[in-house]
Order: sequence, then C-alpha cells, then structure tokens
Amino acid sequence: MISDKKVLIKGNYAIAQAAINAGCQCYFGYPITPQTEIGEYLSAKMPELGRGYVCAESELGAINMVVGASATGVKAMTSSSSCAIALMQEALSYAYSDELPAVVVNVMRAGPGLGYVYPAQGDYNQAVYGGGNGDYKIIVLAPSTVQECIDYTYRAFYLAQKYRNPVMLLADGLLGQMMEPACFGEYPYPEVDVSSWALKGAKGRDGKAIYSCARDEQEHIRKIERLFAKFELIAENETSYEEDLTKDADIVLTAFGSMTRNIKAATRALREKGIKAGWFRPITLSPFPTKRIYELAKEGKDFVVVEMNMGQMFKDVKYAINGEAHVDLINRPCGEWLSVEEIVSSVEKIMGGKYANCI
Amino acid sequence: MEKNFIFAGFGGQGVLLAGTILANSFMLQGKNVTWYPCYGAEMRGGTVNCEIVVSDTEVSSVHKQDTDFALVLNQQSFDKFVKRVKAGGTIIANSTLVTESKPRTDIKYIFAPMGDIANSLGSAKVTNMVSLGVLADTCDLVSKEYLAKAVELVLGEKKKQFLPLNLKALEAGCGALV
Amino acid sequence: MQTVFSVPKVMKKDFKFTFCPGCDHGVAMRLVAEIIDELDLKEKTICSSAIGCSVFIYDFLNIDCIEAPHGRACASATGVKRANPDKFVFTYQGDGDFASIGWAESMHTALRGEKVSAICINNTTYGMTGGQHGPTTLMGQVTTTSPFGRNKEYYGYPIKMAEHIALCDGTAFSARVALDSIPHINQAKQALKKAFEVQLQGLGFGFVEILSSCPTNWHMTPKQAHDRVRDEMIPVFPLGIFKDVTAE
Repeated sequence: MISDKKVLIKGNYAIAQAAINAGCQCYFGYPITPQTEIGEYLSAKMPELGRGYVCAESELGAINMVVGASATGVKAMTSSSSCAIALMQEALSYAYSDELPAVVVNVMRAGPGLGYVYPAQGDYNQAVYGGGNGDYKIIVLAPSTVQECIDYTYRAFYLAQKYRNPVMLLADGLLGQMMEPACFGEYPYPEVDVSSWALKGAKGRDGKAIYSCARDEQEHIRKIERLFAKFELIAENETSYEEDLTKDADIVLTAFGSMTRNIKAATRALREKGIKAGWFRPITLSPFPTKRIYELAKEGKDFVVVEMNMGQMFKDVKYAINGEAHVDLINRPCGEWLSVEEIVSSVEKIMGGKYANCI
Repeated sequence: MEKNFIFAGFGGQGVLLAGTILANSFMLQGKNVTWYPCYGAEMRGGTVNCEIVVSDTEVSSVHKQDTDFALVLNQQSFDKFVKRVKAGGTIIANSTLVTESKPRTDIKYIFAPMGDIANSLGSAKVTNMVSLGVLADTCDLVSKEYLAKAVELVLGEKKKQFLPLNLKALEAGCGALV
Repeated sequence: MQTVFSVPKVMKKDFKFTFCPGCDHGVAMRLVAEIIDELDLKEKTICSSAIGCSVFIYDFLNIDCIEAPHGRACASATGVKRANPDKFVFTYQGDGDFASIGWAESMHTALRGEKVSAICINNTTYGMTGGQHGPTTLMGQVTTTSPFGRNKEYYGYPIKMAEHIALCDGTAFSARVALDSIPHINQAKQALKKAFEVQLQGLGFGFVEILSSCPTNWHMTPKQAHDRVRDEMIPVFPLGIFKDVTAE
C-alpha cells in the first residue's frame, strides 16, 4: 500500500503496513492487547512478500529473534505492550551494546503488573530510561496521530540503521485502536549501507563477532564512552519537537503521544478565554528536547505537563526547566484520556493559584 | 464545528462497521475524523460501541465523555448511552429492540423500527445500514450520497456481492421517518 | 610423511584454548570446526552463541557470530535464519543455557522445525559460575548449590534433552553423544555432521547433546572426569540417535 490517497486506517494496521513499506524483512511477535492487530496483519502480509514472520513462543523469544535478524543487517521489528515490553528489556540492553538496529513498537496499556487493556502512558520511564541493565540509551519516538504512526515507523527504521541503535515507537492503546484518515506515501529515507558490520558469513574475510561486553575493562570503558558520544550526536541531529503559540505564552501545555491532540485543543480553548497559553510536544522522548524547554522557561513561561501516568515526563520537564519557571502536572494513571474541559479547568486553577500567590 | 457520534449495540449487529462507514463518509467529504472502538475484554460482554468525531479543524479529542449523537441498536445500549447524550443532543434508537421511553427531557429522541425494516429486506444483518440511513435523515452533517460511496469503499471488491442489499437498506433507512 | 592430523582451517590462526585442562569444550569445538571445513560452510555460517563457557566459541572459530543473551541462542538463531534462509546457522550452548533458562526457546525452535542446528554441552553443572546445581545435575551430585547432593525433594530430576527434542515433530535429527573415548568422539562427529546436514537439506531442526567433562567443578583430574562421564553420566543419559528423519 504505497499511495498518496488517504485511507481510514487503524493505528496498529498503519504501523504494520508502514513497517512493510519501510522494508522490514522480519517480524517476530506474541499477542497482547491492544497491539495484536500488528501481528495479525503481518502474519498475512509477510509470507505473501516472502519475508520472515514468526509467531513467537514469548516476548523473550520475539525480541531475541529480532536480535538475531538485525545482527545480519536486515530491518527487523517486534511489537508488544507494556508488561510484555518489560520482558524484552534485557535484550534491548544487549541490542544497544551490540549496536543492533532493532525496532520495537510499544502500544501502551495500563500498569503496573498486568495493568489491564486501558490506554495509558505509564511506560515513559521504561522506554526513556530503560528497564534493562547498565548505561544504555535507545531512541524513542512518540506519535500523536495515525499519520504519525506511519511517519515515525518509517523514521524508526531509518534511525535504527543510520545510528545502529535500537529505536522504540511509543504509541498507546488509543492510537493503536483508533482509525483516522492517513496517507502512506513512499518510505522517504535512503537505504543505509550495513555491509561493514552485518553478519552475512565470513566470505572472503575473517569472521566477525557481535557481542555485548568487552572482557578488558579499559576496552569496555572506551566502548561505553564511544556509545554515549554517538548518542550525543543523535541528540544533536535528531532531537525533534513541535510547538505553537509559545511566543507570547504565559503558560505552555506539554504532552507526548496521543495526548498532544488534547493539549492543542485545550490551548485553543484557553486562548478563547483570554489566557495566553501555548503548547509544546516532544516528538523524540529520547533524546529529549531539554534545551528548547529550558529556553522557553528562561523566557519566563510556566509549564504544565499533561500525561496519562503519575508524572513521568513531568520529571524530565522539571529537570529541563532547571528552576527557571513553575511546572505543574495534570494527570491520571490510565483509562479515559484527560478531556479538553478537564485540562482547561485545571490550567485555570493553576493560573488562579499562581496569581493568588503573587498577591 | 466539531460533533461526535456514539454507535452501540450487540456484538454481531455491525455497529463497528456502521461507524467505520460513517467515518469513511466524512473522510470522503474531506473532513477531519477519528473512529475509536471499545476493545479488549470490554468486547466480551455482549455489547460493543465506537465513537466517531468529525471536525472542520483537527479533532480535539478522540474519546469524549458526552456525545452529540447516540445511535443505539439494543436496549442495553439505550440505557447506557442515553445518559451520555449532551443536553440538546439526539439519541436514535432501534425500536425493534428498544422500548420507546424518554427518560430525559433535554434531548431529542428518534425511534425507528430498524430491525423490522432490515427483516423486510430479507436480512436482519443490514439493521446497521438502515440505522445509517435514519442517521442521515436526522443529522445534516451526514450525507446519504457519501454514505453510499463509503459503503462501496468499505465492502470493496471482496464483498461486492453484498453491495446492492446494503445500499437498499441504507435507502430504506433514509425513508423510515417519512 | 603422511599428515594424520591438522588444525581445522576454520580455527583462528593464533587461537589458544582458554578452557580448563581436561574440559571437553575444546574437543567439541574442534569437531564443529572440522565439519565446517569438510562441508565447506565457513563462508555461509552464522553462529548464535550462548552465555556460559560456550560463549568463547567466537574467540576460536573464524566465523560470524552473534552473542545471544543467556538462554536465547535458539531464538536468536531463528531470527538469523528467517532473515537469511540461505545461510548455515547453528547454536553452541551449555545445558543451563539450552535446557534451563532457554528451554522454552529451545523446545519451540524444535517444534517450529527451524532449519537450524543446535549443539548443547551437558556437563551436569553451571561451569562458568563455578559449579552450581543445574537442570542436568545427577541425583546425589554435590554442587555449590546442592551441598548435600541432588535429592528429589528439593531439586527434582535431571532433564533428558535429546529424548525431549526427539519428540518434537519439527525435529529432523536428535542424538546424544559423549567425548569420553576415541570411539565416542568419532560417533559424536558423525552425529554433529548429520545435525548440520539435515539443516542443509531443509529437513528441520538438528540437535546434538554432548556429554562432556568439567574436571574443575567436579573436583577431579581429567582422567577421573572422563571416567565419570562413562560410569555415571552415560547410564543416566544413554547415548544414541533418538530421531533421524533421513533413516525413517
């Protein structure tokens, strides 16, 4: 499905088809609501295309199949949700250390534990800081619409190969299950040459091993420092965000993923009430747009973070602001998305409270 | 302008499909639209629903607490969603399965025997299409012509043989309130 | 003068085995290397290595190798093979890796009939961590975590890998061999070759369980350790071919 025509499509199907368009050669997965449609879709399409598909025995199996496939330089992906993404964390730490271009999709449900199938955004920390061991960083992209599910799936495959770093697409149940008109277009990125490192058999050369630990202490230190320097380059080149009405704003509403839509609408509603509100949304949660948030805070703008968890991105925004401005949190742990009306009335309360303090 | 619609009924009554067709009709009209279903274990209880939001600008929120229109095909859905209709909003009910009652005075009620109409066309399965016809008659935003185009788009080549019956049901729904 | 033995070509030129004296890993790896040479597989081989003493295979064999997380070598091998159906893919694992932490991945790789070959070293203990109780520890065996010997009340029973794997419909070949004597080493090589060939013929999963010594953690001399393989292990883990679709 490569077309400039808009189609009404579910977020999960959009991600799956975008993976195909991006040239994903192998998909490995295990069912879990609310992302199961991704595996269902690919189980029908991948064999037709002569590509790899395995209904894995577990998420451990799935992510380690991705490790194997991506070590050979092919584009490989798994998808899952929250508690089952937790099972994959060890392998993500390996994939980072192995410098493998693994793509992982997390369509978040609630947590902790089984967490039921309600949409939520409680895996921010898991994605951004990682549940795996050691110093490692993966790239995290957070789509807010079905169109962005397509665009960022493309980007995930490209960035993974460009930087040889695992990339997570962090969506949520709302985005996975909803339909919206979207357009696939063509995969917009160039193909990355992987021949220098991909395992393809030692033909006319010595064997290569991809492994996660250097047994020499100094070598290991150098390796981690090199990988962190690489991530600094990623931060420099790839940090992305979107903002509007921030120029004259007194308060900046901040959200990630599908909550972005609601803060945009809340900003419009607040403006209609005469409150100078603006909105800001990180697109890359890792690397995080720390610098831009600091700049806005330095200009004297207060922040309010709106998220469906107990304040996970809130901490990163607070860190970015570095004491230069106020930051508040509007949140709920999971379930029904914070409505525009709830956000507006909470912001009014926050603003009222602030002015009350000023008096 | 932004309006939302909730479609609800028994599993098997085709409310998700009807919602998909409505959302497609809005897309074909060039509007911004979202469709969001109940899903997961919520689906196992017998009733299903989906919510469609249509807007001239970007949709403000995919899943809202209240609704401008509720289209309900069974009693359980009527009882559940009559409470969620906005003051001044409309509930459209399949009176074949829903008792005609008006528990609130601040909303509009439309009752049509959608199931009977579908049966008279030869299949209870097209109750959902009849309901879309009734909706088109009730709500200016919804276009009968674009609904017909959307039915064709959604059924596609694979289910083309069902197109005439579905279009007939849509047509019958449009005339049901006359 | 006639050459009766030479180092396999696929061994790294400057390799020096770092295994303990009397450990059979070196013998097993040499057999693997000889077969890679004989079947001319070096240029199309990708190994999915494991965690434990078996991880060192990429220090000694001049082949492409991906180090899978502990227990996941068969899953990783599945990924390699599905992405590259034309390559020769094998795992080289210990019993803890294959049959304990990775048993789910191992069994399902066999059940799916993945066209990969798996080699598992059974030495009745966790070698690299210093000799703990594992899935293959014999009844009565004293380890650092079964200080009073393995008993059924606390530890249950040892696993019979080759028999289990043979029960999977996707398995093309499953055998148990030992490295305690020259005849057994020769049989081991035949079995390994067969496990490689069934993959190359596209017949399914090939598996060889290799009974091996671990003198260090058994607190034995190399000679005593090999006697133990013969006298204590083989009676519990009988040698043989448990499935061979080419013979059926």
